Order: sequence, then structure tokens, then C-alpha cells
Amino acid sequence: MNRYLYDGTADGLLSAIAWILEEEPDPEQVALAERQDTLFEDGFFLATDAIQAEDLFFRLRQHAPDAAHTLYSFMLAEKDGMESSLLHYIALAFIHGDKVNGYLTHPAVRDIVGIAKKAGRELHRLKGLLRFEKLRDGAYLAKMEPDHNIIHPLAYHFSRRLRAQHWFLYDVRRRTAARWNQGTLQFGTIEQFTAPALSDDEKKVQALWQIFFKTIAIPDRKNPRLQKSNMPMKYWKYLTEKQGE
Amino acid sequence: MDILSKLQILSGAARYDASCASSGSKREGPACVTGNTSSSGICHSWADDGRCISLLKILLSNDCQYDCAYCVNRSSNFVERASFTAREVVDLTLDFYRRNYIEGLFLSSAVMGSPDKTMERMVRVAETLRTEEQFGGYIHLKIIPGSSSELVRKAGLYADRISVNIELPSQASLQRLAPQKHKEAILAPMALIGREIASSLVERKTSRHAPRFAPAGQSTQMIIGASPENDFQILRLSQGLYKKMQLKRVYYSAYMPVSDDNRLPVLAAPPLLREHRLYQADWLLRFYGFSAEEILSDDAPNLDESFDPKSAWALRHPEFFPVEINRADYGTLLRVPGIGVTSAKRIITARRFSAITPEGMKKIGVVMKRAKYFITCSGRSFEKTDRPAALLRQQLLLGESPVPARSTQLVIPGIFS
Ligand code: SF4
Repeated sequence: MNRYLYDGTADGLLSAIAWILEEEPDPEQVALAERQDTLFEDGFFLATDAIQAEDLFFRLRQHAPDAAHTLYSFMLAEKDGMESSLLHYIALAFIHGDKVNGYLTHPAVRDIVGIAKKAGRELHRLKGLLRFEKLRDGAYLAKMEPDHNIIHPLAYHFSRRLRAQHWFLYDVRRRTAARWNQGTLQFGTIEQFTAPALSDDEKKVQALWQIFFKTIAIPDRKNPRLQKSNMPMKYWKYLTEKQGE
Repeated sequence: MDILSKLQILSGAARYDASCASSGSKREGPACVTGNTSSSGICHSWADDGRCISLLKILLSNDCQYDCAYCVNRSSNFVERASFTAREVVDLTLDFYRRNYIEGLFLSSAVMGSPDKTMERMVRVAETLRTEEQFGGYIHLKIIPGSSSELVRKAGLYADRISVNIELPSQASLQRLAPQKHKEAILAPMALIGREIASSLVERKTSRHAPRFAPAGQSTQMIIGASPENDFQILRLSQGLYKKMQLKRVYYSAYMPVSDDNRLPVLAAPPLLREHRLYQADWLLRFYGFSAEEILSDDAPNLDESFDPKSAWALRHPEFFPVEINRADYGTLLRVPGIGVTSAKRIITARRFSAITPEGMKKIGVVMKRAKYFITCSGRSFEKTDRPAALLRQQLLLGESPVPARSTQLVIPGIFS
């Protein structure tokens, strides 16, 4: 079995896969891993080529759009140690097209699709659970600590939804931020975060939402277990309606 | 009265309205400054009773002129009354939407003054949101029975979904319990909405700019257990509404005892299990290719409390089973207890690669606990499929959790999957 190494970046991973698919007759027999820079590491190092990486994604999208979507979601999970599975998954996707996602009896497909689903689920959840607060200067800020690195697709979602507002998303864990203002979306990092002052009516609107949240539940049908399974407690930290619980 | 107290009264009054679906409509484009709706629907929170919150669900007013026996807002009841102005509702919606609390607005109302006066203010809310504020989020308006067709038409132009509550399953019950409401006043706007939706779809085929009329379709709601109709009558009514009125959804709402009026039945608790079984049966009508006459009959006019309607059908039709997983077509797979729409589709996809094995079935998401009595897998059966009906009933009952947990009665299955 041939073993290859790459530099640990997303581009590196995809360009390595592109190279292997090109050169190796049977990718199922090939292993791919991140280079650890230990002295006696076993394997052939493949240099990163961003153009190759992009080209692979583009070809996959043409050939199997669902699989390309799965690949995209999988990358949001930033999972280590799954490189060989991803390689085998993509190889299968070029053979079977979108039908590959139904091939759940194959371990690589099951792993990749499973991880991609989890990332997709968190993305979908946060589209609902993200909370913006209005700041003194009229901009809106939403903070989050997601398990997956979903700030890009999330910001894209809100750029279509809240297009008239000036807003920021801030991933507290990764210190990354997105900013939307007058039709432009920008991404960056924030090293020093100081909480900005809220606008004067912000607390009033939050109190209205809290009242609505409390009243809309049917009193004798309390079901905290169902509530928590739909809305896990790890998200409560930034939920307006769950402050002070 | 301050806005906080109004919100408390008027969201509390809207609490029992079952419809929370915000899906089924795609509204987007540069014309919408605030908001879009997405076709898959988004839950923004889950209330303390575990239900999804996606819309700001409120009444415009609870100050009712009518006196329907089953309703808390009836004029003869003593409750605190409140009414919003149109502007107040518009501001609440926008403030909530901009903070990503909600997908949009679900506005209903008691009859404040007259049907037209109420409907006029409700339409003004939607009109202001769409034209002045360029709001692109979701709007669902309840039509007040008896309001003019011009207002109904206007409501449909601004809202994603409009609905008229059918309230009770028969004219006789309506007359007895809601004497100011008439069947015609409910069915006429329903038919009008159906026609407008159909013609707007036709116009939009020729011109993309033709106005859209209630793009997410029409739904209705009826109260279960306040009147004597049986499940067969109810399901046949729903079937008719789906077929003849092209309704998207019928919602069932278990009657919550709110008064000791002697026209109403005395119930120890709201009939939640019955509501749950009706939802399951309704699901069979819409997605599983069943007809009301297959599910129930004049001899057995009520749904079985101990079995879901699909298992009950399967038990009555031993000749249909066992079903061979690796050969049966989609429609046949759907009739197997324990196989849903998703797992049936997955079976069809997966078996293209290789025959499905018993282990594969679990991975696909088939509920084997139930399905195992009704299937074979490449000729192999899991349980004796020819056991006597009585024994099978027993086994299925033991396999199923004793009484469906409260939670399962509250979520409407599948809206957001
Ligand atoms: S018209 Fe509506 S709000 Fe008024 S009493 Fe009847 S059901 Fe209740």
C-alpha cells in the first residue's frame, strides 16, 4: 500500500487527492495523512497546489453536485485523521456520481457522509439560533461558539436575509469574524475583542422576546428534555431567551 | 396598556394554534430589504413545552364580539382584553426579525367589531410590512370568516400563506357551538383562495411578474373532541379538502376544556392521543398513498388508540405481506410499518449498489422492531411472518413503547425534515 503525506492545509489535502486520483490506478489501496515532521515518517510528500485543489472541487461539482456539497460540509468539520476516507469517498464519487451518498455500506462513505451531515446540521441549527444584538451605532452583532467552522456559509445566509442591516458575526472560539455592510461581505480575525455598548432600546426588545418565549409555551405541557434535545444546552450561552436561567 | 402586557395577553391567546410551519415558500430578491423565506423552514427556538418557535404567533385582538362555546376569547367569558394597533405589530415583527428571533409573522385575531374591520387591520399590517418596510420574511394571515372577498384577495397578495379555520367538522356542530359562524362564510373564502392560487399559478407560467397569491398555499384547522363527529367523518372531510380545495395542510387541535357550557362534552383531559393518531392518519393520506376508506370504515369509524394507523392497516391485511425489501416498489415499501418516506427512498437507492442485508436495514433507518414482522430480505424472513393475527397484535404492542411520550404528541412529524 502506498502512503502519501500533505502539509495539513485544506488546499494541500485536495491537491494531494487530485494527484493521487490522477496517478494511482487503485485509490482504495492508497493511504493519505498529514505530515507530522517526525524524523522517520513513512510516505511520499505531495506539495500543495491551490489551482489543482480548486480544479478538483470544480470537476467534482460538475460530475456529482451532491457529493461536492458533502465534501464542502465535511471540510467545515476540520476533522483530523480522515484523509484516507476522504480520498476513497471522492474516488467513488467520480465513479458513481451522486449515487455515492447512498452507498452507506462502504465505511469511507459512511464516515464522510456522517461527518458532513453533522456539520450541515449545526449550520442549519445556527441559522435559527444565532441572535443579533443592536449596538449603539446601529450595527448588529451576533456571537457564537460552534463546533464546526461554519462562519462562511452562515454569513452568506445572513447576507441574503438581513441585507439592509450592518452586521457582524463573531466566532468566539476561533476568533474569526464576518462583516456585512452595504452589500459587501468581509472576513477577518479579531485578536482583541471588547464588548461594544448596546443601543438604548436593545434591552427592551430583548424583554419582549423573553416574554413571548415564556408565554407561547403551553403551561401544563412542560417538556425540558424535548427542548434540550432540539436546542442543546451548549447553544444557550448566547440565546437571548435563555439568559438568566 | 404597555406593549409588554399586550404581547403577553395576545401571544398567550394564540398559544393553542397548532400551525407553526413556515416552510413551502421561497421569496427572495433585491426588492426585499429585510428578509427572505427559505423553502425548508427554520426553527428559531424551542419553547418550554418542546415545540418549535419559528413565527411571531399572536392575535391582533382578543376582544371578541362572537360567543363560540369552545373558545377562551368568547364574549361571555371574563378575560383581560387587549388589541394591537397595526403599527405595533409591524414594529414587533421587524424588531424580532432583525435579531433573528423569527422567520416571520403569524397573525390571527378575534372578531373585533366586525369581520371586515378586523380583517382590514390585519391586511394593513401585511401591507405595511411588504410595501413600506420591504419585508421579505414569512407572513401567515388567518382569514376572519365573513370578511369581504376584496379583503381576502388583498390578504393573499401580501401573505405567503392564508388560512380559514374550518373550526368544527360539521355544519350541525358549528350551529350548536359557534352560532354566529356559518359554513358558507368559511367555505366561500376557502374556495375563493383556491381559485386565486390556481389562476396566479397559471398567470405566472406566462409572466414571471404576475403577482403571487399565497405562494405557500392554504391550510385550515379544526377542533377535535368538542363535537361528536367520529374519526372517519373527520378524515373524509380532510380528504375532500385536499382533493377538492387543494389545501396544503389540515391541522387538528385537541379541544382544551375552557368552559363548563353544557353544550360541550366533559373531558378529563384534552384528547391528545386522538389528535396524534389523526395526524398520523393525515400523513398517510398526503404522503403514503392511502385513502380515508382504507384507513377507516363505517364499521370501524375510529382510529385504534393502541396502534398507529399504518400498523393497524397492516394487521387487517395479512395478504399484503411479507414484502420483499430487495424487490418491492416504492409504493409497496411505504405500506410496511416501520418504513417511512426517507427509509423507503434510501432502500431504493442503496439496493442499486448491492442487495440490502439485514444489518443494512438498520443503518438505513428502518425501525426493525416493527418492520421485522412484515418483510423478507432476499427471501430471508426475520420473524415468522405467518403468525396468527392476535399474536402479532400482541407482539407489536409489546414492541411499541407503552404510551407515546408526551413529546411525540406535540411535534408535528416531519415538517422540518
Ligand atoms: S370568533 Fe374566534 S375568537 Fe371569537 S369566540 Fe369564536 S373562536 Fe373565539
